[in-house]
Amino acid sequence: MNPITPIINGMAITLKHMFLKPVTLQYPTERPKVAARFRGLHALNVSHDKAKCVACYLCPTVCPAKCITVEAGEDANHDKFATVYEIDMLRCIFCGYCVEACPVDAVRMTGEFELANYKRQDFIYSKERLLEKK
Amino acid sequence: MVNLTIDDKQVTAPKTATIYDAAKLNGIKIPILCHDKKLKPFGACRMCLVEVEQMKGRQIPACTTPVTEGMIIRTSTPDIVKARKMVLELLLLNHPLDCPVCDKSGDCDLQNLTYEYKVNSNRFKDEKFNHEIDYNNPLIERDMNRCVLCGKCARICDEIVSFGALTFIDRGIETKIGCEFDDALNCEFCGSCISVCPVGSLLARPFKHKARFWALTKHTSVCGFCGTGCNLTLGVKDNKVLTTIYDENQGFHKGQLCVRGRFGYQFINSTKRLTTPLVKKNNRLVEASWDEALEIVAARLKGGSDVAALATPRLTNEELALFKKLLLDNVGTKNFDHAAGYAHAALTEGFARSFGASASSATIPDIQKCDFLLVIKTDAYETHPVVGFEINMAVKNNGVKLSILSDKKGKLSKLPDAVTLVHRPGSEVAVLNAIAKTILDEKLADGSAASLSGYAELEQALAAFDADTVAAQSGLAAADIKKLAAEYAAAGKALILFPSGQPYTGHTAELASAVANLAILTGKYGKEGCGVLCLSEKNNSQGAVDMGFFAQDGGMNGLEILEACTNGGVKTLFIAGENPLTSYPDRTKVKAALEAVEFLVVSELFLTETAAMADVVLPVCSFAEKEGTFTSTDRRVQFFKPAIRKGAQTKTDFDVFSSLIKRLGGQAPASPAAQFAEIAAGTAGYQGLSHVSLRNDGAFAAVAMTPALVVPKAAAPIVAEQGKLALVVGSALYHSGTLSQYGEGPMHVCPEGYIEVSRSDAAAGKIAENDLVTVSSATGSVQLKAKVSLRIPAGVAFAPYHFSEAPVNTIWAGQPVTMVTVSK
Ligand code: SF4
Ligand code: SF4
Ligand code: SF4
Ligand code: SF4
Ligand code: SF4
Ligand code: FES
Repeated sequence: MNPITPIINGMAITLKHMFLKPVTLQYPTERPKVAARFRGLHALNVSHDKAKCVACYLCPTVCPAKCITVEAGEDANHDKFATVYEIDMLRCIFCGYCVEACPVDAVRMTGEFELANYKRQDFIYSKERLLEKK
Repeated sequence: MVNLTIDDKQVTAPKTATIYDAAKLNGIKIPILCHDKKLKPFGACRMCLVEVEQMKGRQIPACTTPVTEGMIIRTSTPDIVKARKMVLELLLLNHPLDCPVCDKSGDCDLQNLTYEYKVNSNRFKDEKFNHEIDYNNPLIERDMNRCVLCGKCARICDEIVSFGALTFIDRGIETKIGCEFDDALNCEFCGSCISVCPVGSLLARPFKHKARFWALTKHTSVCGFCGTGCNLTLGVKDNKVLTTIYDENQGFHKGQLCVRGRFGYQFINSTKRLTTPLVKKNNRLVEASWDEALEIVAARLKGGSDVAALATPRLTNEELALFKKLLLDNVGTKNFDHAAGYAHAALTEGFARSFGASASSATIPDIQKCDFLLVIKTDAYETHPVVGFEINMAVKNNGVKLSILSDKKGKLSKLPDAVTLVHRPGSEVAVLNAIAKTILDEKLADGSAASLSGYAELEQALAAFDADTVAAQSGLAAADIKKLAAEYAAAGKALILFPSGQPYTGHTAELASAVANLAILTGKYGKEGCGVLCLSEKNNSQGAVDMGFFAQDGGMNGLEILEACTNGGVKTLFIAGENPLTSYPDRTKVKAALEAVEFLVVSELFLTETAAMADVVLPVCSFAEKEGTFTSTDRRVQFFKPAIRKGAQTKTDFDVFSSLIKRLGGQAPASPAAQFAEIAAGTAGYQGLSHVSLRNDGAFAAVAMTPALVVPKAAAPIVAEQGKLALVVGSALYHSGTLSQYGEGPMHVCPEGYIEVSRSDAAAGKIAENDLVTVSSATGSVQLKAKVSLRIPAGVAFAPYHFSEAPVNTIWAGQPVTMVTVSK
């Protein structure tokens, strides 16, 4: 093959794209539309003003990154609830197994993907931070 | 043996086996839900259905059907699988299915079977149960909505524990497990019912929601409370002991535990544990480094015979042997002892002279093998509850005849056909002597006895103990004493048990010899199901005796050491784990001694009231953080490994002693294993044992006996005093020594000291249950809660000794019987 041909082919593609709609997003002024099934930051679902989580420990059990910490307690009605529910986002691999394992639909994953922070400590999401915002 | 075919496999099984046993024996699994090998077959759940060809293919329960010759059995035909699925569907019909919040999840037979049989839908429809959940006691939660009515809890509580707290109540679809009058559970809280419940109906509340079953690491260990030496499985997560786990194959007791073993483990991870060494500066204990603390201690230990030591028999054999070595070789003192010096006398003096060995001549498994059992003091149940279970089973299942000689009645008295002779407090030796005299007079003695040394002297000395005189002194009937003697002598295999320990000051060498005489005179020792078993108090009491950690060759004993502290003979006192201020008699004296001694060093888990008086406090490890061996009361040597890592600033007693030896210029063995090798070489009965050989199962250290008859001196009879009660001190079922005060479980059910008085004395003093009463004796007075009880005879009172708050040793100065006044 003529050594010039690949270069011409490449130039042709470049030229073509000068007339197409750009794929680059002008982030952060332009925002991406995330798919409904996107696996971003977790949220704890709420029902009757309480987190739905019953502290069954299935998500920490299934989590391949071992980044969920749950501690269970007993409330005044002797019901089980999570006194601690923490996810270490630095270790999370966003596999979504925790959502799948939950027997009571207490945890889901949102479209939130902007998880940058200044301090390592801030990557540990406590129960309060994960509670579904109303 | 019978031959049969199970699933086309030719197998053999013993004649007494059920189909389930036969299958299990041959590696064929039949699912069960209501069957437990420790309990009698029941046949409630029908999970174990199998087909037997000879029965025209009918489905029958494997767990209740005995095998017969030539049986052809199928365990998993499609029809059987269908039937089992139906059983599960019916069980799940009213079941709440709240596995996510049920603590049993992961260890639940119903859950496992449902999974195994793929029961993922239900053909039937019905309402869920709606029983009220019993949260009334702090240890056991009872949620009858999850119950599958297997009856195991009710059966174990009856057949083994012999408490009978639970039973089936109501009938038909309404049937449930309930307590008396469908009331709240109030029992001895051994937790046996929890351990056998196949579902989450009965749960341990101290562990509730702490962790899931699958997240726990299981570590086998040996219980650190009493001398029974039960094996434990500790459930550990994140370096914390969170619970004890039932293992039906563990130990002679098949996983059975008492309230202390099952619910008393919290002391291990207690936040009250000492975390760093403390050194007294300006009259205050302040934190110090190990180097600083050990340097001070080592300097003080150079005092030779000015130094004395008291160790708790909760230390391991290796630690006690090393401590002894430190004291003898490096410090140069013979003044060391354990258990206050007198609590081991039954072994070290009594059995030593009667049997020529400082150990019991019988073992716990002998209880089930004897025909006749004599228990001295009903307290044997309280001090060693799992031995008590063995007695329950012996009497109920094996028809062992039980006689009890005691100063009060107790739980054992309630066993079928048990005879309790309630004598006046303090007269047990006299009664035993009267029994011995009857044996001689009625010619019931074994032929060989007359040739033993001491026979003539004994015969002569016993002249003073004819049944009538002793009966009058002890408040018994002469005929009862004679009958007991005749029954004991006539029994083919007879065993005598008695507890010993710090509160039992009356259970001395004299009592031990009096008991030994009976066995020796009738030749009932050294044979299966025969002998005398001294139930020593702490987990390693027998070990401490075997290691020789007591006053010998002119060394001072426990009480003499304290005396010498007061008068200046001892200047440095090293207390390893003992808490004399609460557990030794006569608090005022002990306190004076600990104040007077120039230098006091205490190694402890907690800042006990004794440790608080020390000049140096060394934080040491519990049994769960170290390795070593304990020797149980029947001389089973058992090895255990650490279940958790020790705290950064704590050391094992072994490490403490070896650092001190090195600081004093000596040489210490490198590890507990090396120390044990030395022990095995030099201790009678321990030959051939090693940490490696003991790794899986413990081993009995043999006891070589040379019997001799000894004249036991009986104490003078107690004179009743007008308006005073005869107080006997002892152990409460929920506690062991003072350590159990740091276990949440025991403290939930028995948080404080009390005094038990009879109904008539309570009525006379207008005392009601739970009244706060002032109990005074010649040595002091203390306020205790009153308990009015049917088991106590008039004129007698009982108080347990474990509690630092309201300590009983303010009124008890060590006499077997103390005369006290009780007033509101
Ligand atoms: S998404 Fe995956 S890695 Fe992240 S918390 Fe859930 S289970 Fe763990
Ligand atoms: S008892 Fe077993 S099946 Fe029932 S809720 Fe608990 S874990 Fe689930
Ligand atoms: S804890 Fe023990 S005594 Fe109480 S009900 Fe259960 S088995 Fe019976
Ligand atoms: S409470 Fe547990 S052990 Fe008792 S009958 Fe119900 S399922 Fe069986
Ligand atoms: S305290 Fe004694 S009887 Fe109870 S579990 Fe421990 S060793 Fe066994
Ligand atoms: S296990 Fe046989 S009937 Fe329950």
